[in-house]
Amino acid sequence: MKTYLTLMQREWLQHRFGWTLLAVVPLGLTLLLLSVGQIQMSSVELGEVDQVGAGVLTSITMLVTSLAMFVIAVVTSLFLMSGLARRDHQDRSVEFWMSLPTGHSPSLAAPLVVHLLVVPAAALVIGLLGGWLVSLVLVTRLLSFEAWASVPWGLVWSAALAGLARVLAGLPLAFLWVLPLVLATVLCNAYFKRWAVPVLALSLSLLGLSLYWLYGQPVVSELLRDVLVNALAALVTAQENPPLPVDGNPLSVLAMIPAWAWADWRLAFTALWTPLFAGCLLSAAALFALLVDWRRRGAGAGG
Amino acid sequence: MSTPDNLVEAKNLSVKYGSKHAVDDVSFTIPKGRVVGLLGHNGAGKSTLMKAMVGLAMPTLGAGGRLTVLGLQPRSQREQMLQGACYIPDVAILPRWARVQDVITLMSGLHPQFSAERARALLKRTSVRLTDKVKTLSKGMVVQAHLALIAAIDARLMILDEPTLGLDVISRKAFYELLVDEWCDGERSVLISTHQVEEIESLLSDVLMLNEGKLVLNISLEDMDRRFVALSHDAAVADRMQAAHPLLRYRSAPSLGGQRGDSTTVFDGTPPDELLKLGQRVRPSLVDLFVALTRKPELDRQHF
Repeated sequence: MKTYLTLMQREWLQHRFGWTLLAVVPLGLTLLLLSVGQIQMSSVELGEVDQVGAGVLTSITMLVTSLAMFVIAVVTSLFLMSGLARRDHQDRSVEFWMSLPTGHSPSLAAPLVVHLLVVPAAALVIGLLGGWLVSLVLVTRLLSFEAWASVPWGLVWSAALAGLARVLAGLPLAFLWVLPLVLATVLCNAYFKRWAVPVLALSLSLLGLSLYWLYGQPVVSELLRDVLVNALAALVTAQENPPLPVDGNPLSVLAMIPAWAWADWRLAFTALWTPLFAGCLLSAAALFALLVDWRRRGAGAGG
Repeated sequence: MSTPDNLVEAKNLSVKYGSKHAVDDVSFTIPKGRVVGLLGHNGAGKSTLMKAMVGLAMPTLGAGGRLTVLGLQPRSQREQMLQGACYIPDVAILPRWARVQDVITLMSGLHPQFSAERARALLKRTSVRLTDKVKTLSKGMVVQAHLALIAAIDARLMILDEPTLGLDVISRKAFYELLVDEWCDGERSVLISTHQVEEIESLLSDVLMLNEGKLVLNISLEDMDRRFVALSHDAAVADRMQAAHPLLRYRSAPSLGGQRGDSTTVFDGTPPDELLKLGQRVRPSLVDLFVALTRKPELDRQHF
């Protein structure tokens, strides 16, 4: 456990500056622009905002901000992890890491867990808190500070935290769904370096075309589509019918979020018991084993 | 885990890259308390041999062959083995993004035998500060930092692959001082490969010499003095010396006490008495043996 925690700490020590920038810059810019910039809206639009009310505007702001921060974090993490196999080769520090008595599996698993689970989860939390600040500025500018202060915070925060819990609980499931794709990219990076993504894309395309010619079915594209859809559904909206306003009151949706979040997560969990997910797990295990073997044979470090 | 008196045992060890034998059927042991120099030309197989010893290269073991480091298999028991051995593969391999303090923090968590307190104490002897980023350090400072970190590991065996490559003489001296003062205690062993043969000779207790993957010399420095005989003689008797099939003959430089035109001839074993009378016995240097055993002995050359 100490080894895993230290390897995870390594990720923080190496990327803390970048992560801080990713957290602070978008939020800071948004707050700054909203504070001093001009918000140009017509009287009709302003009337609509007034009608919707501070509560809904606050909720939407918090949702959009946390979603934006989450997407930024996920895209950045996927980009970083695609180069995991060779990231320490440029400065040759891979030989330093290989000279320490750490296992190959923790050395590969720890960064994956940090970048694909911990960082997106942290981004969600930061986005939610940042969204609360953004809502303060936005609602104050469009309506008034009193309108923001009179938002039903109990309702808003219970919905926000329920939604956050739903996505956080779904994050490990989504991680497992996409893990084979991530590991395939990492493995290609191990052998093909910067050509990893083109090689992988080309290989999948050729495989898909071959199978289509042989069986008349777009097997590969359908498989990829199903995996990605399931991964997204693991995060949110596994159900087809999301909660809707009652009696035309938008805030009534917030009261339904906690129950919906729990039911939604159970649905996403149920979707794991399928042959497709089993195939994902087996593929991920095989790809990880291949990566460990590559690292065991010297990780291409001039050995 | 029981610790044998031989920290390293290699028998019929080879390492192949494709069809090329980088290390070709070598056998040797490294007892505890020794400072062993691993010498050889570029491409002789030194780095490959060291990598095999720390599990980074796949060895090929001949019939009855084996490779054990601290009684363990380097490949299959790599993590266990590296708890008792430390390795500097190259001088410039500390992570450039890290501060020195970060590396100490990480090594504390990843190496059970690492002492952060000792590392900080050793670093105080250098010009490296804990807050320095590795990428801002000069090459010499990176070497000093890396060695201080490695010396803070309570290990039985240190393997250093050309640690002073590219360093100036002051940095090299500082490196050797740190190595001798802080590491060599009579129980631990060091295996060090270098091109600066003459500089390191005074530190060594044993020598392993590789030539094109083969082990051409495996000897303690005490035995080396007994086995090899160097005679400084007048150039007029060079032909008689040559007839005795020496390992190496060269012209001595005047700055080394010889007269212009004097030669030195190195023999493996004691030469005949009549030749001993023709010259003055001098101690063969490691450089001489290195040249003799890794090049054609008939070539005349200037002594350096």
